[in-house]
Amino acid sequence: MSPEAAMAWFRGWAHAARLALVLAVAGLSPAFYTPRLRATATKQLYFTVWQVFVPFTLFSALLSVVIIEITIRLARGYGLGVYALELVITVLTLELLPLLTALFVALRSGSAIATEIALMRVSGELDAMAAEGVDPMEREFLPRVLAASVSVFMLTVVSCAMALIAAYFSMYGLSPWGFSEFTWTVAEVFTVRQLGSIAIKTVLFGVAVAVIPIAAGLSATRDMKSAPVAVLGGMVRLFFALGLIEVLSLAVKYV
Amino acid sequence: MDKEREKEPGRDGAFTAVPRNLQFRVGLLLGFTLLIAAAFVLYVLYARGVFEPTQRLTLVADNVEGVSIGMDLSFSGFPIGRVHKIELADDGRARIEIVVPVRESRWLRRSTIFTLERGVVGPAKIRAFTGNLQDEPLPDGAERTVLRGDTSEEIPRMVATLRSVLENAQTITANEGSLQASLGNLRLMTQRMAGPGGALSGLLGSEDEAKKVLASIDRANALIASMSGVARKLDAVIDKTDQRVYGRDGLMDGTQRAVGQVNGILAEVRDSLKRVDRILDDAQQVSGNAKAATTDLRALRAEVDASLRKVSALVEEINRKWPFERNTEIRLP
Repeated sequence: MSPEAAMAWFRGWAHAARLALVLAVAGLSPAFYTPRLRATATKQLYFTVWQVFVPFTLFSALLSVVIIEITIRLARGYGLGVYALELVITVLTLELLPLLTALFVALRSGSAIATEIALMRVSGELDAMAAEGVDPMEREFLPRVLAASVSVFMLTVVSCAMALIAAYFSMYGLSPWGFSEFTWTVAEVFTVRQLGSIAIKTVLFGVAVAVIPIAAGLSATRDMKSAPVAVLGGMVRLFFALGLIEVLSLAVKYV
Repeated sequence: MDKEREKEPGRDGAFTAVPRNLQFRVGLLLGFTLLIAAAFVLYVLYARGVFEPTQRLTLVADNVEGVSIGMDLSFSGFPIGRVHKIELADDGRARIEIVVPVRESRWLRRSTIFTLERGVVGPAKIRAFTGNLQDEPLPDGAERTVLRGDTSEEIPRMVATLRSVLENAQTITANEGSLQASLGNLRLMTQRMAGPGGALSGLLGSEDEAKKVLASIDRANALIASMSGVARKLDAVIDKTDQRVYGRDGLMDGTQRAVGQVNGILAEVRDSLKRVDRILDDAQQVSGNAKAATTDLRALRAEVDASLRKVSALVEEINRKWPFERNTEIRLP
């Protein structure tokens, strides 16, 4: 990597971090929550959640069932069946499914956001907005960030709920008598600290999924050819950012 | 620029149809998700016993290695409480604070025993054992000492013991070890036993010793032979003595005969005295008048009677003191 490339890489991250800060401030100021913002955000949510809700829920349920079945069977084979439930609930609901959901939203919406912003940049739409005195923050960026965060949260909740249900039925079948043991295990896994950490992690995932593609899109120029480069760089950065958040959360929780 | 602005709503419309009740659908989905999230949080809070009255129990242990917060207190294999806090008290002992839901606290009684066990695999386990469920219930905030059973602590001790055992075994079986020496001795002994001296030289260590022992045995045999000769002679002497003393015409025989003669003499004496008695009776009848003479005669007769009794007594005494009828039979009353 040449020094220029390294600098560009570093600048890209710095740009994304600055944008994240600005958006955080904007998101915390009530003045930005206009009806127009709400309308745009609703539209974004429709695309990012509604359209994929059923397929994604089914997919996460299938994935959960397969992983849980394999884990519980293996653990029972080794005589560690009592630890299996705790293990699968921890791994799936606290680690795997949130990350998978964030990656899914990044793949589907993050790439779309990056492309959209890059195209706006290429077409000069953003410059025009600025010239007209319209804040692109309120009009384009903040709704997308909010929508991405909420969609990551919603899909995470649904997939985790599916995973818990799948875990119960994999472990106890249709018997209702596993409920108290299951409840005990859930209480063991979801401590207040774990609940807090998963909430923070989900918010960070949601923000990253929108902010990094927006920053990448903004790095495009009026040149048409700069758009694919910007989107590509943004998606790679997003992937690393998601991985980094996951690693950090693991490190904080278990190290 | 205006043109571009106008294109914007059309841009969305051109690629995806936005339904009219978009807000309602998104709101519905969002509401549904929030409901799930809220239900889940409530479930977790319920699972963690937030809505349930609990009571506390403090266990005191020397060492709480392996105990972690959130660990179960189990009774008959069922989790009935959780470790809430672990702290080190001022006296250097560890205190494990356990929260038990009130509905589960009926398993804990005053006589309940708590143990802390650490296995080789898996976490430590805190267990409660209640012998008598009719006992008084354990009060809130009770403090109990926990009994420890530690497999992993036992292992090093066991390994140390095992090592010393192995070392001993090694010493015994080593080339210069006692077992080798014993085996060597045994071999030497069996060799000797197989040799000319046989088992005896094996036992005594050398052939010479064995020879000495054999010589001693020979001498002893000779001695026994001569002793039997002596014994035979002694037998002959005893036989002769027997013959002399108790045999026919022996010493005892003579004596018996002499006493028999004495008996005969005495019997004759008694007879003659009886005859004198008869004569005296006659004399008494003949001279009835001679009173004075009679009185003298009576005195004489009394004297004769006394002599006669004396002789009889003498004969009886001799018979008693010398019992010639060898009646060896003892009659028990």
